[in-house]
Amino acid sequence: MSMSESGPCMSLDAALHALARRRRDQVVVATMTAMAPWRKIAATDRDIGCVGFMGGASTLGLGIALARPDVPVWIIDGDGSLTMQLGSLMTIANAAPRRFLHVVMRNGVYDTSGAQPILGAGTVSFAALAEAAGYARGVRFEDAESFDAALDELIEVDGPVLVELITQPTGAGYVTPPPATSKSRHVLAMTWPVLRDALRREA
Amino acid sequence: MATAQSIPAATLYEALREAGVTDVVAVPDTHQRSLIDLLVKTGAIPFIQAATEDEAIAIAAGLIIGGRRPVLQIQHAGLYACVNNLRGIGIDGEFPLVLLVGLLGRDVAKPPRDNFDSMVRYAEPLLDALEIPHVLLDGLGDIPRLAEAFRMAGERSGPVAVLVGAATA
Repeated sequence: MSMSESGPCMSLDAALHALARRRRDQVVVATMTAMAPWRKIAATDRDIGCVGFMGGASTLGLGIALARPDVPVWIIDGDGSLTMQLGSLMTIANAAPRRFLHVVMRNGVYDTSGAQPILGAGTVSFAALAEAAGYARGVRFEDAESFDAALDELIEVDGPVLVELITQPTGAGYVTPPPATSKSRHVLAMTWPVLRDALRREA
Repeated sequence: MATAQSIPAATLYEALREAGVTDVVAVPDTHQRSLIDLLVKTGAIPFIQAATEDEAIAIAAGLIIGGRRPVLQIQHAGLYACVNNLRGIGIDGEFPLVLLVGLLGRDVAKPPRDNFDSMVRYAEPLLDALEIPHVLLDGLGDIPRLAEAFRMAGERSGPVAVLVGAATA
């Protein structure tokens, strides 16, 4: 088990690998710091990344879940991202998608912008907020072993389920892309039709 | 210009059905409340309520990925509130989003951009700045513009706004 200044925690990689080992036909909506490592270890044509529309990963995933209730949807969210659209917890709870696993990487900082602390970094509980908003379950893990041991059961729970993982900041920072040109297309525009087509094939 | 006329909720509802709308994603709008009431009462088109317009845009995009044909139903104040997701998802992500935007508080005897109320006055200039096409529903004769908006959104792979000029009846 790793330790941070405030207590035990897990690495982002360990958390992602636990998810990757269970990856089957789930749609995975990832955002920010988790996007690049997730692409390396578990990318399929059922992935979509969210950057540039702050905090929107979970509600984008909600739309997919409502359109395709037969397909499990996993969200790999960040604490800073979720904080930007915290009301989405109530929106998701109200819509009540059953096969919806919302994983929040709680590293306590805005990792890509210089590791400034999120508001409530030492006090807020996203798991408790989710349950108070109406999620079927909200749980929190501080070490990868406990998360790994509980994940098989959590995947099967009627959702929505929020899993808050206490993770170490990666320090990866943000890699500024080259300025857009007239030939540039946003990655989202190029990836969502691939996911749409993958879902159509198995409708 | 002629004074804008209220469009009955039932007429708009039928127009949505004829346009093939599968879901309405909304943050409740006073201006379109009779349509909301009808949508909720009939239940034939799922009414998905969001806490914010930013969320509504993301939900609608997800629905499109999943093969649905949603419409967004919001108010002009919500349009101002969701500019970043409209840009980041709708424009950059190239999603064919159609937004029904209620112009609450409009002086219906004047074109929207000639209104004193800033929420009404800035709606069209904002959409112009974002290069988002928009049409105005100012009476029954404008109903075909709804289907036209869906056609435009599909062709341009981007958002199109339908401004609801007078409160729905």
